[in-house]
Amino acid sequence: MTITEHATFAVEREYKHAPAKVFAAWADPRAKRAWFAEGEGWEIQNFSLDFREGGAETSKFRFLKGEETFGEETWFGNDTVFNEIRPNQRIIFTYSMDRNGVRFSVSLACAEFKPAGAGTRLIFTEHAAFFEGGDGAAMREAGWRELLQKLDEHLAAAG
Amino acid sequence: MTDPSTTHATFVIERHYKAAPARVFAAFADAKQKAKWFGGPAEWSAQHKLDFRVGGKETSVGGPPGGVVHKMSGEYCDIVENERIVMSYEMHLDATRISVSLGTTEIKPNGAGSTLIYTEQGAYLDGYDDAGQREEGTRELFKQLEQFLDQ
Repeated sequence: MTITEHATFAVEREYKHAPAKVFAAWADPRAKRAWFAEGEGWEIQNFSLDFREGGAETSKFRFLKGEETFGEETWFGNDTVFNEIRPNQRIIFTYSMDRNGVRFSVSLACAEFKPAGAGTRLIFTEHAAFFEGGDGAAMREAGWRELLQKLDEHLAAAG
Repeated sequence: MTDPSTTHATFVIERHYKAAPARVFAAFADAKQKAKWFGGPAEWSAQHKLDFRVGGKETSVGGPPGGVVHKMSGEYCDIVENERIVMSYEMHLDATRISVSLGTTEIKPNGAGSTLIYTEQGAYLDGYDDAGQREEGTRELFKQLEQFLDQ
């Protein structure tokens, strides 16, 4: 019997950089890879980004603590399709996550970029369906908070 | 360009059918069957295409004669036979995208029949549509599904 749990969460964050700068970090493959895919504890096998409506982002990465966490070598896959791109304003995408080839979640995500003084307020909303073995809303939200923090560090480093 | 507005909402529809899960599932999976119940009012023109597999696409284009073209285009993200169908879909009115949604259809045995639970989590865009209207339209579709299954 299948299990399906639905959840929605939103994360809001302010950045010192203007919307065009923050948006560019989602649109440019090198920048996106740097804050979204690269990270301690992960080995990236591939990352590709075709940033246009109907375009795909795919990545596959190995969780270095897979054996101790899941008892086996653990590969995660992310398949993203961009539904809507409004430059500097809004990105809507659908992404599915797999662990060792088994799909465990499908999400609809929306990133809104709003001017806030000289900077940007980013509102990230995710609607998710978690399946058998899925991580659940609390872990997913924590993961995105960490990613949006990494985006901040990436923007600071890029100047 | 005006500032975009985004309304996020979720609704759930639950319905019981006399048909067993495999029969209800087939009404979604088989293109000929789905075309019979999935669409607008009878007087609308309609074109329906369905490639029912994970990564496969579905489009349904129709509308009143000479009026606004309603276009649904979706992609299947997860399919578990007789149990679960997850799709991401967009709605357009003419060239304007009015929503992007994640729709989950769960089918569970209920006696000799089925319980269908449909959950839609959506981003309704720029004031063109809202979850209330979408829920109403979706309820109509599931009523049409019942009429199809009863035939």
